[in-house]
Amino acid sequence: MLSQIRALLLWLAALALVVTGFWWAGHSREPEMQAGRKVITWMLHISPLRDLYEQQVAEFERLHPDIAVRLIWVPESEYHMKFKTLAAAGQTPDMFYSGDVWLSYLRPFMADLTPLVARDAAEIGLEDYFPEIRAAMQHEGHYFVLPESMNISLLYFNRRLFREAGVEAPTADWTWDDLVRAGQRLTRPASGDRPGVWGCSRMAGWWGEWLIFVRQAGGTVFTPDGRRCALDSPAAITGLRFYLEKSSKYGISAPAGFEPLNGFVNERVAMIMGGHINFWLNYNAVPGLDWDVQMLPAGPAGRRGGEVAFAGYALSKTTRRREAAWELMKFLTRPAVTAAIVARGGTSVRRSIAETEMHDPKRQGRPQNLAAVYRQLEFSLPIPRHPNFLEIMLQVVQPEVDRMVLGELTPEEAGRRAAAAVNAFLDTFDPQAR
Amino acid sequence: MNDRRAQLLWFWLFAGPALAGFALFSLWPMLYSFWLSFCQYDVVAPPRFIGLRNYSYLLMDDPAFWPSIKVTLVFTAVQMPLAVAAALGVALLLNQPVQARGFWRAVYFLPSILPQAASVAVFVYIFQADGGLLNRLLALAGITGPAWTSSPVWALPVLIVISLWGFGYPMVIFLGGLQTVPRELHEAAHIDGAGAWARFRHITLPLISPVLFFNIVMGVIGALKVFDLAYAFGAAQGLIPGGPARATLFYGLNLYQQAFTYFHMGLASAMAWLLFAVIVVITWLNFRLSRRWVHYGD
Repeated sequence: MLSQIRALLLWLAALALVVTGFWWAGHSREPEMQAGRKVITWMLHISPLRDLYEQQVAEFERLHPDIAVRLIWVPESEYHMKFKTLAAAGQTPDMFYSGDVWLSYLRPFMADLTPLVARDAAEIGLEDYFPEIRAAMQHEGHYFVLPESMNISLLYFNRRLFREAGVEAPTADWTWDDLVRAGQRLTRPASGDRPGVWGCSRMAGWWGEWLIFVRQAGGTVFTPDGRRCALDSPAAITGLRFYLEKSSKYGISAPAGFEPLNGFVNERVAMIMGGHINFWLNYNAVPGLDWDVQMLPAGPAGRRGGEVAFAGYALSKTTRRREAAWELMKFLTRPAVTAAIVARGGTSVRRSIAETEMHDPKRQGRPQNLAAVYRQLEFSLPIPRHPNFLEIMLQVVQPEVDRMVLGELTPEEAGRRAAAAVNAFLDTFDPQAR
Repeated sequence: MNDRRAQLLWFWLFAGPALAGFALFSLWPMLYSFWLSFCQYDVVAPPRFIGLRNYSYLLMDDPAFWPSIKVTLVFTAVQMPLAVAAALGVALLLNQPVQARGFWRAVYFLPSILPQAASVAVFVYIFQADGGLLNRLLALAGITGPAWTSSPVWALPVLIVISLWGFGYPMVIFLGGLQTVPRELHEAAHIDGAGAWARFRHITLPLISPVLFFNIVMGVIGALKVFDLAYAFGAAQGLIPGGPARATLFYGLNLYQQAFTYFHMGLASAMAWLLFAVIVVITWLNFRLSRRWVHYGD
């Protein structure tokens, strides 16, 4: 009998321990005050700029002894799962990464910064941001993000391969026809030990390239109200067709599946249509790779259509340390930090830094044609603002585009099927679509 | 306290923690996911009841649902018999009195303990269209190999080949089964003039039929739930998981993406319940059919 009671007590003690553990885990919160200091949390990707961020935070804490910053480092691939888990648990970080495609996705969690931006416009140098960046920072006229850096689609080209083929370097007035003509002269088959070269790359499995063609042909992904898909429009189909015919008709890009691995870096691809700035560091790390950039060639409806994306910071709408987090945000987006990011191969979101960089006589390295970067910005468009944009593009639209490239669908069929599938998606997940 | 009460107390003392764990971490989530399958739920906002809309979207409108069913069923129908046959074949060889038998058993088992993601990454390089090992070998013979990993026609067969690499676990189970087959039966049949195939067909196979049945059931369930193989296959090529053109979009991968990439928890719950129903039906069928060919020696 005694042993039974002892066992029962042991069992109850173990149960109490487990229940206490769950209770503690559920109620554990970051202390709002740490030795008399306000603690703010900042969730960010693990990135090559980590040491820069850590230096800036240390400097910020030195200047603001009443504020402590807790950095939450998360691998980029797990960022949004971690973010939503924290949000569901009522522990949204005070400050977090946002920008471009994530602006619409994360907007339900973001504080409207408009009053703060209006109050401190002079201090943050609002007018110093490029107008396109200022537009991208807003949603329906409200500011939600302060930008840190940007990415623009550009035409990348290998100067050595152009010289060898006797082709003039791309100019700012190029059109799709010029791209095709140059691409055909640059394309050469393999012979002996000499590997073949393709005139132009093709970005497979992603919208990065074909969306440019769709937009430059006058098409869009969504109707202006964002509630229906417009990829079945004649203009959008013209863009899809050019994307397909780069290989199937003009022969300037490799057939689907045969794209050389790291083709531009390995000098097996002479041009990248719509390449992004975040590869500059990689390109510059390759010995002997002689590359530069130019504005995107214009399509039948004009030059406008390349993508402008930016990275920046947002505040949680539930933060209780709004002013402290705003101070940190301003500190991290001041011109000195922008200049430090530019020095590491990034691009400036501020005109003042961009002009200093462009006119710096001591500036070396690539790309040489920095003017093209900032001029292309005028012709760039942000990613369509839809909270399900990523899912719609990757899961619903892209497989139809892939099938087109593989020869299973015509551009008309791909556009029609993609539009029908997107509309069914919107009907289910966006009840206001109809 | 009488005996019955004492027994009851001991029962709850020992079974209680396991039952509590089951109720808390299995039964309750299952029931909750059943409820969620009739809701729209993105983890942050409270679930919103939408009736059968998740099920109707999956069955009627979702462009990924039926392709993922097709990919999974084709994989199961082809990969499971091949994997079971390979495991049984190698187990039969390794059951022979060959030299260094332990070493060979370890060699054939080793791939099973490698992380699948690592194996897939290596195989993707072998099957690379431009400069991959296989296409370079084919080129030596004057054959232009296809784009194995990025062709919707070839991607799934390539995945099946990759998955056959790790048949160590069913092989070990077969080895265990083969070692229970009495040697005397083989000797008697041999004396009566039965050949190797006849002895295998009429002695070995019936006696290991419970083991064979176990491996088939586990193989079918495993094939229906494939996830990491397809995820790593896409990641190793920088493709959207499930590509090219949904050719490797397994049901489990589709479900994972709906739940944890796009946070459609209601839709993912509906998918999970449909999968559960399919597995129950297939397993029931398996058990029904097994009565005809599985012998338990009773």
